[in-house]
Amino acid sequence: MEPFEPVIIAFVCNWCTYTAADLAGTSRLSYPTNIRLIRVMCTGMVDPQYVIKAFLEGADGVLISGCHPGDCHYINGNYKARRRIKLLKEILPRFGIEQERLRLTWIGASDGIEFAQVMTQLNDQIIEMGPSQTRMNVAI
Amino acid sequence: MIRTIEREDNSLVKGLQLFFKQLLETKEIDALFLPVQLKNSTSIMPNLVTDLAQLDRALPLSPAFPINSARMVSRLSYKASGRKTAVVLRPCEMRAFIELIKLKQGSRQELILIGMDCPKALTSSDYTAYMNPNSSTPPLDTSPLDNNPLDWDAYIQTVFSQTSDTLNGFDFSPACRTCENPFPMNADINILLQGVDLSRGMMVESGSDLGVNFLERLALPEAVKPEARDEIMLQIKEANFKANQAMVKDIEERTDSIVKLNAFFDRCINCYNCRNMCPVCYCKECVFNTDVFNHQPVQYHQWAEKKGAIKLPTDTVFYHLTRMAHMSHACVGCGQCSTACPSDIDVFQLFKSVAQRTQAAFEYFPGTDENQPPPLSVFCEHEFEGTVGITRE
Repeated sequence: MEPFEPVIIAFVCNWCTYTAADLAGTSRLSYPTNIRLIRVMCTGMVDPQYVIKAFLEGADGVLISGCHPGDCHYINGNYKARRRIKLLKEILPRFGIEQERLRLTWIGASDGIEFAQVMTQLNDQIIEMGPSQTRMNVAI
Repeated sequence: MIRTIEREDNSLVKGLQLFFKQLLETKEIDALFLPVQLKNSTSIMPNLVTDLAQLDRALPLSPAFPINSARMVSRLSYKASGRKTAVVLRPCEMRAFIELIKLKQGSRQELILIGMDCPKALTSSDYTAYMNPNSSTPPLDTSPLDNNPLDWDAYIQTVFSQTSDTLNGFDFSPACRTCENPFPMNADINILLQGVDLSRGMMVESGSDLGVNFLERLALPEAVKPEARDEIMLQIKEANFKANQAMVKDIEERTDSIVKLNAFFDRCINCYNCRNMCPVCYCKECVFNTDVFNHQPVQYHQWAEKKGAIKLPTDTVFYHLTRMAHMSHACVGCGQCSTACPSDIDVFQLFKSVAQRTQAAFEYFPGTDENQPPPLSVFCEHEFEGTVGITRE
């Protein structure tokens, strides 16, 4: 059997986590290629809808990552994101999508090393959990 | 302040109609918004009434609940009209309207809100069958036909004297059977029936200074709050709480995976009636009506090629999950989503089971406190810190 290669969608904010990813790249750090980065201007613009769509399309994990509290380029977008993730963590497990598949982290622009570490750790966790139930039973 | 609305011609309904007429006669209000039986019809629909004579057909205490009126009151009040309107609402309609006020889609500025003990409701199709027994299959013993106040009196007597879940063989709406708060709240004037000795009449209670002003103008006999009322309210709350627990348990078992949820919505035709009839689905334009979901033909082919086959219309479960994320915190449990569903899907049961979780997570009680902001419109610096990070619990 082929080893399980998860699909992880990461919504990363332009000002912090995306910059950290860029720094990880220019520093020649490696991290799992299972993670697909989607750059957004702020985690505060990630509508719960985007996360739901990712899971329904068969994503095994979704990460939202932005600036540390207090550092948001738009002052408070990350606080709003935190409430939306809390909301989704109430709704999704109700339908069998484990809440550990949805993650929120704060990774600052200068944290290239931390970015690579978090991605590796997240990938390992999702591999351990196995494929998402939606993967084989795609519901749209 | 508590007063009695006495029977008129030995009828509760006529007594209540007289009360509304007296309100209109004070000239302090220009119109009343309340359920009225339409002419030459058995349908009871919300009406904006300015003529005293039209109040002879006013029937707020009936099992007809064709629409959650909060949306209609929003239309009447989102801007100033220069008119004062007294608005009669069921408890769940009142809660929904309070939510709309928070969203600046309605205002109490020109309104006098009149709440009432809930007279329960049948679903729209059951109500039609109940009212037109000859054209329906289930045999009925009695049915209040046309506008006969005494028949409606019998209905009121029945519904407020027993805790039965059925009416002439029809089940009351699942929303009513599981409602934990079928009592008026946040209104200026409350019409009380639970625990009241209906042989004399019903009672009105002021809920605000505005309400006191109005009740003082009407020469109604003084009354005392019936002692039994609190106890009866508690009993109803407890019974409905239990019914709700059972309903939530059942629906959770039926939909505890995406595969089951997909099967649950297998009859959904994406008509969006549940959204259109939802009083707290507040967006002016729903994203599911925008070009975002106006997919290119090639997109459908690509999906089909990827999965072997796709069901059309697409985006069904996606739509329902998104709606849960957008409005479940504000769900008032009125059940109109299920009533509006042409495919008889238990939308209400599902949404209420999710709403309980999201409302508990934010300690949000929709429609109960006008000053409690919607949970996704605010944030605190230190909260929900457990949702951040990737350490496993």
